Amino acid sequence: MSSLSLPIQTDRLVLRTFERSDIDGLSAYHALPSVQRYVFSRTRDASEVASALGIMRGHVSLQRPGDTLTLAMVCKGEKVLVGHVSLHWSDATAGQGEVRFCINPAYAGQGFTREALSALYDLAFDHFHIHRVFARCDGRNHHSIKLMQQMGMRLEAHYREHALFQGEWDEELHFAILDREWQRWTKVKDLPVRHRVA
Amino acid sequence: MSLYPVYPLRTERLTLRPFTRGDVDAVYAYRRREDVTRYLFDTALSREECALAVQQRIGQLALEAEGDKIILGVELDDNGALIGEVSLIWRSVEARQGEVGWIFDPNYHGHGYATEAANALLDLAFGPGAIHRVAARCDVRNEPSWRLMERLGMRREAHFREHALFKSQWDEEFIYAILWQEWQALRGEQTPT
Ligand SMILES: CC(C)(COP(=O)(O)OP(=O)(O)OC[C@H]1O[C@@H](n2cnc3c(N)ncnc32)[C@H](O)[C@@H]1OP(=O)(O)O)[C@@H](O)C(=O)NCCC(=O)NCCS
Repeated sequence: MSSLSLPIQTDRLVLRTFERSDIDGLSAYHALPSVQRYVFSRTRDASEVASALGIMRGHVSLQRPGDTLTLAMVCKGEKVLVGHVSLHWSDATAGQGEVRFCINPAYAGQGFTREALSALYDLAFDHFHIHRVFARCDGRNHHSIKLMQQMGMRLEAHYREHALFQGEWDEELHFAILDREWQRWTKVKDLPVRHRVA
Repeated sequence: MSLYPVYPLRTERLTLRPFTRGDVDAVYAYRRREDVTRYLFDTALSREECALAVQQRIGQLALEAEGDKIILGVELDDNGALIGEVSLIWRSVEARQGEVGWIFDPNYHGHGYATEAANALLDLAFGPGAIHRVAARCDVRNEPSWRLMERLGMRREAHFREHALFKSQWDEEFIYAILWQEWQALRGEQTPT
């Protein structure tokens, strides 16, 4: 596999790996209760945000199954961190990848997550040769559900009361899209051509 | 809550009971068959493998910790034959989740025996087991199995496509589930008080 070429430019965003200096930008949204659903580690205070940043700074590529790539979404104009997206390589033989995403609610509703995810899906399918990308979301999170549908993902699972989350019964949806289903024409912007491994 | 059922469990036509060493031949009669194991994780078993499986099942009779299984032999009262097996796995202690499964001898398909045995297992899980949700999974092509789930009142919660490899092909899987309150409502309908 050719080496990963970062950062990625989309129309309005620069997608790059996290840096030490992102702590303030991350603190602005990462500890919000609405953001806590599918994050890598629970973060309620400054020190937990710092350790979450530490973890995400290590998410720089997918070398082996279990690895995660996390990209900070930086708004080009204001150079501000608005959120992040990540791709987790969950299974190598079956080529499975899980995406997660998080946006600072102050910047929600402008299509930034969709823009970042489009670039991430291109990366997943074209660069990492992932066969199926899936995402989990809370059954009550209407913004995420709408976003998943806009991304062309199919609702594959709707679990009811299958687990407890913070003391309450959980409702979880799984969305998925296969390599051959991903419409490259929805690309926000063409990525530079990369070398492919046969 | 741990579950130590008192065996055997009886239904109208069946007895659900622990496996014994004498069951090896009856188990081998169906577990050796390709048509039976097609959608199971196991392939067709040899007689030695069946002996080992039966040996294991002899100890799988209670739920004490997460991941524990109860696997029972299903005997037909009419002729005393072992006609299949049903299983209950404790998937999550905290969220009180269970999973059921079944394998029956093709000579005894088509009489509602699997439905009868699986219903007894649901009663065990939701009643004394205090399980909150019971799930079951099967290959999309295994129509007899998902039709059985529907007869039991389970809902289709998931349809995964190409999410894994199964016997070196892309897997397509259904997950069905039933909640305690749904089971309760069903039993209420069946036995009005
Ligand atoms: C899955 C499996 C247990 C289902 O067996 P089954 O015989 O279809 O199920 P039942 O014993 O409940 O019988 C139901 C059938 O008997 C009929 N029937 C007759 N009398 C009945 C009665 N009193 N009550 C209910 N159904 C009755 C039903 O109409 C149904 O037939 P249909 O499918 O033609 O409508 C069986 O196919 C099997 O063992 N498969 C191999 C192992 C396997 O794949 N296991 C599952 C892995 S996920």
